[in-house]
Amino acid sequence: MTTDATNTPSALPGIRVVEFGPYVALPLTGRILGSLGAEVIKVETNKVLDEMAFIPAWSRGAGQPEYQRAKRRVTLDVRTEAGRDLMLELVRISDVFMTNFRRNVLDRWGIDFPAIRRQRPDAIIMWQTGLGGHGPYYTYKSFGILVQHLSGVSLMTGLPDDPPGVVNTSYSDYHTGVFQPAGIIAALMRRRLTGKTASLESSIFKSGVATGGPALLDYQVNGRGPQRRGNRDPWAAPHGVYACAGHDRYIAIAVADDAQWQRFRQAMGNPAWAASPEFETRLGRRRNEDALNSAIADWTKDQDSNLLMSLLQSNGVPAGIVAQGEDLHDSKHLQSRSFYQETRYWEAQRGVKATEWAEGESVSWSIPARMSETPISFGKYRNIGDDNLYVFGELLGMPRGEIEQLEAAGVIY
Amino acid sequence: MPRFDDYTGEHLIPPYRILDLTDRRAAFCGRLLADYGADVVKVEPPGGDPSRRLGPFPDDTPDAERSLDFMFYNTNKRSITLELESAEGRALFRRLVADADVVIESYNRHYLNALGIGYDDLRAQNPGLIVASVTPFGGSGEWADYQGDDLVVMAASGYMQITGEPDEPPVRQGNEHSHYPAAQYAAVGILAALYYRDFAGGGVGQHIDVSSQEALITYYTDAHPALLWRKLGQNVTRVGTNSTLVIPLGAYPCKDGWIAAGVITPREWDTLAEWIHEVTGNDEALNEAYRGGNQDRAEHIDIITALFLEFAENFTVQELFHEGQRRNLVFLPVNEVADLLADPQLAESGFWYDIDHQDAAVGALQYPLGIFHSEEVSARSRPAPTLGVDNTAVYGGELGLSADEMSRLRSNGVI
Repeated sequence: MTTDATNTPSALPGIRVVEFGPYVALPLTGRILGSLGAEVIKVETNKVLDEMAFIPAWSRGAGQPEYQRAKRRVTLDVRTEAGRDLMLELVRISDVFMTNFRRNVLDRWGIDFPAIRRQRPDAIIMWQTGLGGHGPYYTYKSFGILVQHLSGVSLMTGLPDDPPGVVNTSYSDYHTGVFQPAGIIAALMRRRLTGKTASLESSIFKSGVATGGPALLDYQVNGRGPQRRGNRDPWAAPHGVYACAGHDRYIAIAVADDAQWQRFRQAMGNPAWAASPEFETRLGRRRNEDALNSAIADWTKDQDSNLLMSLLQSNGVPAGIVAQGEDLHDSKHLQSRSFYQETRYWEAQRGVKATEWAEGESVSWSIPARMSETPISFGKYRNIGDDNLYVFGELLGMPRGEIEQLEAAGVIY
Repeated sequence: MPRFDDYTGEHLIPPYRILDLTDRRAAFCGRLLADYGADVVKVEPPGGDPSRRLGPFPDDTPDAERSLDFMFYNTNKRSITLELESAEGRALFRRLVADADVVIESYNRHYLNALGIGYDDLRAQNPGLIVASVTPFGGSGEWADYQGDDLVVMAASGYMQITGEPDEPPVRQGNEHSHYPAAQYAAVGILAALYYRDFAGGGVGQHIDVSSQEALITYYTDAHPALLWRKLGQNVTRVGTNSTLVIPLGAYPCKDGWIAAGVITPREWDTLAEWIHEVTGNDEALNEAYRGGNQDRAEHIDIITALFLEFAENFTVQELFHEGQRRNLVFLPVNEVADLLADPQLAESGFWYDIDHQDAAVGALQYPLGIFHSEEVSARSRPAPTLGVDNTAVYGGELGLSADEMSRLRSNGVI
């Protein structure tokens, strides 16, 4: 609890959020709001576990401790009548309802948006969809890593003859997860100022396209398709990655202008080749980039990438190792900023109630924004159903006996 | 609670005054806030933001008022010019800060301090001020003074380590992806700080420190290299376009482009196998050995990939996309910009905003501003500002400078 000192003010006190849905983006939104001080109540059930808990890396403690922390976790089977009623009771005492279930599923369960609004007329609703909540792709399925193809980014990545370039992650789930808290906080301010509420619909698809960059305009104005430049920059050179000593070790070097080029030459010890007039100007270096790159690669190939980064940066040349796990884990820089923190986690097991899962130790990142007055908390990581008594008992005022009855009936489960 | 007399909630964010001192690496933060209603004033040096001189330009003709790069990152902002390196310029800046809610900046951490307009100086003058600093490595720690652009941040965050083909060097994502995560987190922090100050009884502003490196690390948590290293002593690396574990998973060529496909469950495989057999007549698709979960197919990756390619070449992207989805398979098109602009789903969900640049060389362009679709609120649709277009409104109208004073400041290179 060291990072959750109780006397420290938080940015969003008194705001209560119901989070209802699995995967990456929605839980990430809840975690951010929770770390900012909102009381986030995550509604889930042991009967249908989040698939994300079973991805190999995650069962070792990645992801779940990051996305599911800083929130209250209750179990509720909303497919039962009593479960639905309790869900609506939670909505009644909350400012925000956010979900990523499809419209027809919410309808079937009786927790559709009109029902939410009847229960809490000023509820702010965040509806996160995959490809869109209405429209031609409404029923279509997608998942994270493939959305970088759909959103146009893979054909901007790599070189023209390469297959579409891919990063091995759930791409725009993250964009969506961080756009949503911005929308929700703004909607809370707007509600306070105008008395009006708002329903916002986001999509993983739209969030990916929103970050397509100037290429979106270039096509419209110049009719040009995506430019695949690998690591090169249209305006500056050298700009690329260069192999260093060791397995799969690279350094990125990005020389923006002629002054940096002079500093780079100096850092290299003024080799004769770098004095060549063809490399003197930015334009010249761009024109002779192949020769430039092979000369630099020759210089870097036997060097330690970390030492090289220090050397170049201390000479005022933008450069960075292509960081691997060990670099990030052991980074003094990140340690001094307490970026990674120790956490426990529970190893998900199918067919076994979450409270019976084995506990382990892990590390998780903290929210990458530091606020001086209202520090963003790392937050406590609670297990599925840990807060049933607090939420149903204290917040909704249910007697303990009734909670136990509903547990036995599989409603609170 | 603040008073916004004209704010009726048409846009999500009240018209808070935000002074935007960022370069293109962090400009998306102010854009996001401006798109949704904040009054973001970009404070540019008298020569203009350097990105105004970056292309692409219409017809590749350089023109500081027609940089598509600047246009993309600065929609809905206003622009004033101001030389912060002159004493008079700083005096004007302090007057602007007195009435501002937020300053966003992306300078090296010593720069504004050295000019006497760092966070502590500004806070002394306006205790309600929120200052957000977005830098490559954050404002503290041994890398705090290190420099980096998109490439360097993508490298140092480890994001590049898992981008590209396994037998090739790491490659960056071509949309300059590192410009977004830190800017998004800064926007969240700014809105939270405003909420605290004005609606939660906080009353005071604060400083927000965002590191682009850290923000990008959080954007590939599936891979979590630090944890894999800690637990297993392994380093993650690139897996390329197609997975070696899930088949098919990735992008595969078809008649007129690429189809992205992901088949994970046993049921999805059965559906696909029958479809492949239906199209190619190849009985191998129905081989019992391939049925089941991913692990059951991993050792047969070469033959299954061959089967899929033989099947896919009979279809166009759109045919595979819609028929695949009809069969409940995750098939998605690998889109280019042209496809996105024509996409019926994006059109239906109010995603593109039409912005008329009032300039024949640029025309009216579609911008991807509809991140949130809503019946109650909309984004704004004003083009990025021309250089200093709001000087008169801000210096004359708000600060009350006379025309003479303004022309003197102009000839002294202050504005």
